[in-house]
Amino acid sequence: MPSHNNLAIIAAAGSRKTEYVIDKALGMPDKNVLITTYTNENQRQIIERIQAKSNGTVPAHITVLGWFTFLVNECARPYQNAFTLKPGYMKSLNFIGERYRLTSKNSLSYFFDKNRDIYRNGVSDFACDVNQITGGKVIARLEQIWDHIFIDEVQDLVGFDLDLLDRLFDSTIGITLVGDPRQYMVPTNTASKYKKYKKEGLLDWFEERKAKVTIEPRVQSHRCNQTICDFADALFPNMPSTESLNTEVTGHDGIFIIPRADVAAYVATYKPTILRENKNTDTEGLAAINIGVSKGSTYDRVLIFPASTVIQYYKNRDLENFKSRERLYVAATRARFSATFVE
Amino acid sequence: MIEKIMIKNYRAYQDFTLEFNDGMNIIVGDNDIGKSTLLEAVNLALTSKLNGRPFAFELSPYLFNSIATEEYLAKLIAGEKPTPPEIVIDLFFKENGETGLLKGSNNLTGNDAVGVRIKASMSSDYTVEYENFISEPAKIKLVPAEYYSVEWLGFSGNGITMKSLPSSPSFIDASAIKLQSGADYHLQSIIKEHLDPKERVELSRTYRNTREEFADHDSVKAINVKLGGSQGDVSDRSLSLAIDISQRYTWESSLVAHLDGMPFQYVGNGEQNTLKILLALNRRAEDSNVILIEEPENHLSFSTLNMLVAKIAKKCIDKQVLISTHSSYVLNKLGMDSLILLTRTTGIRIGQVPNETQDYFMKLSGYDTLRLVLAKKVILVEGPSDELIVQRAYMDAHAGRLPIDDGVDVINVRGLSFKRFLDIAKLLKKPSRVVTDNDGKPDGAVEATYSEYTTEPMIEIHVGKDPLYKTLEPQILHSSNRETLNRILGTTHATDELLVEHMKNKNNKTTVALRIFESAETITMPEYIVDAIA
Repeated sequence: MPSHNNLAIIAAAGSRKTEYVIDKALGMPDKNVLITTYTNENQRQIIERIQAKSNGTVPAHITVLGWFTFLVNECARPYQNAFTLKPGYMKSLNFIGERYRLTSKNSLSYFFDKNRDIYRNGVSDFACDVNQITGGKVIARLEQIWDHIFIDEVQDLVGFDLDLLDRLFDSTIGITLVGDPRQYMVPTNTASKYKKYKKEGLLDWFEERKAKVTIEPRVQSHRCNQTICDFADALFPNMPSTESLNTEVTGHDGIFIIPRADVAAYVATYKPTILRENKNTDTEGLAAINIGVSKGSTYDRVLIFPASTVIQYYKNRDLENFKSRERLYVAATRARFSATFVE
Repeated sequence: MIEKIMIKNYRAYQDFTLEFNDGMNIIVGDNDIGKSTLLEAVNLALTSKLNGRPFAFELSPYLFNSIATEEYLAKLIAGEKPTPPEIVIDLFFKENGETGLLKGSNNLTGNDAVGVRIKASMSSDYTVEYENFISEPAKIKLVPAEYYSVEWLGFSGNGITMKSLPSSPSFIDASAIKLQSGADYHLQSIIKEHLDPKERVELSRTYRNTREEFADHDSVKAINVKLGGSQGDVSDRSLSLAIDISQRYTWESSLVAHLDGMPFQYVGNGEQNTLKILLALNRRAEDSNVILIEEPENHLSFSTLNMLVAKIAKKCIDKQVLISTHSSYVLNKLGMDSLILLTRTTGIRIGQVPNETQDYFMKLSGYDTLRLVLAKKVILVEGPSDELIVQRAYMDAHAGRLPIDDGVDVINVRGLSFKRFLDIAKLLKKPSRVVTDNDGKPDGAVEATYSEYTTEPMIEIHVGKDPLYKTLEPQILHSSNRETLNRILGTTHATDELLVEHMKNKNNKTTVALRIFESAETITMPEYIVDAIA
């Protein structure tokens, strides 16, 4: 048994990592458990899937919070006056704005706008500061409330979030992180702090903390067939390769590319789910899901209207000059049987 | 358990802090000091409701402390732009493993604590309206409560959820029995709390079924057919009657409690109170709740009060009880130890009363201990004659004012219980003077028996010095003279001995004192009495 109670699961697409979180949480009814994740979409999915497994309700021992709700309400707000010197100063979160670059860290305007809303880039930093000033009260309070905290899609956490993770690792709370650096798409903030630990760099960050967190890779995909796994793996040669557990053969399996002219016929034949780069993408009038939103979902087949750089990469497989590996990884790995690109 | 309350600008309290006892808290104080307000404030912070309605709806300028309001208005008139006063009620809880969600430093102390707060403050949504409002300061007479918003928060700074709130109060206001739309909301809530969640669901389900069955009844169907028949007269749609089974009309609003077959609101007030209090006391122990009882003595006969107080004492062993009272009886019975004497800024707690004194008052619960507690100053005397003489002496020395006019209470105490009262007076630091006989003991001997009390500067013992004059009557004769007293008493006793005999005779004693008290003529009072009333 390690002396700590912290686990980081680095898992490939389709390895059922969210499922793992839900089952673990449901399996500890005598503990107070928090599940937190960054995106609303993922939060909604987690709640839905818990309800499906538990009589249509979320059991009383489980709390599901968005990452910023957790940061603002449970980390930054309770002891805010250690920094602001005024209880009840903080109003809400300023998700859009950023502080003026030259603001000194001693001033309130370093963290707060004029409505007393806290800037999103500073919430974790503020929470860690307050924890420091109060001699650890922020963490002590969390310890009193929760026995175990699960963080899903941990690759979205960046900058000062990592400092907060460090404090959590050192607490009595069991911390389980699950995520996949290959699916890094929507970071929680845009602070430049710890830039080197973004994306794949997160693995280095975990590696440096081997003494307080057990790292567990999951390389099996229940979703994608081996061809799709291999295509996706090729985007990240430094990551362990993925083993497919999906051996079902349908007659149209793997990675394909079709010209625009064939889209209608292809859709009629295979009835794929349509993914697009963004809302401005021309999808020949077909209803489509943004790649960003599709994260976490499983479809039998996908037809992808990608950015033009993806088509270039598809043709030349030149990783050096390809910038959006994460988006392509996510798009391709949604599919169980076939992922097809529209040229 | 509530450890402490802090109140800012709510009604009588501009800046108030009080720590509570874990178990019983008997809250006494002068009229208007804010006893009811204190209970109301506790209830408000625990439920966010005032008079059974959300605080935001009930918020009015009159809930703001009048001094705070005046200060605010004065600043406006002076051309300043003051922040409009805020109402804050902070309740501090005893920390246990399950209160983490309410923990934080967002409270009036700014220190780490577990608790809840309700706060009414100027809403930033109305900045423009407010600036218009203050443009003519002379017209402003009250706090602009309509621009306020109410927040109900834990000390974490986050909103309260049922999950985070550790205790729910039972508020029993016996002085005002509120009847609203048939059933008493107060009784409803007590009944509701008395039931476990399963029983509650069962009750509402049955109630709903009954209502639905109404529509299926043959006579109602016939009526609905008839109503439907007149279709087209007013509208093309068909009209029918049914009972509203929506959320708004649940059993609470239409079921009425019956006591011995009589609807609850027709039962006597006293009986209603008793029943409410008993229901509240019987609440399930696991709802580690707080019980707020306002003036249980109201509307109750002595025997019912006796029974009720016994029940309160027994049932509340593991509960926190806040009880406001005007009754010495309630105070004596529930234990002087638990007394909290309210002032405008805090409560004075009596501390540890010696056990025998506690027992004494519990057994002889008729003693008016509250008079001692509430008076500014007390003079303890040992009989009705002494009381009359002291009163008269006081009037002579203070331009005809009765002692009570100056907040000085002359309390007639049977000789032996002086020390019991002094135990309390000592703890309360209450200026107290004992006027007693020397019973023939030499100068200083009686005082010596009170030495454990006279270490306190506010306790004084006044005894006639000369042991020749053992009791009040010989002392009066000694300080005055036979001629004057014969005149006042309408007697013609030829010697001092005969006059003293007459005065001391137990059949005359009180009459003699009354004559002196009422006399137009002023006598020279014994020196020790003059000292005592100085």
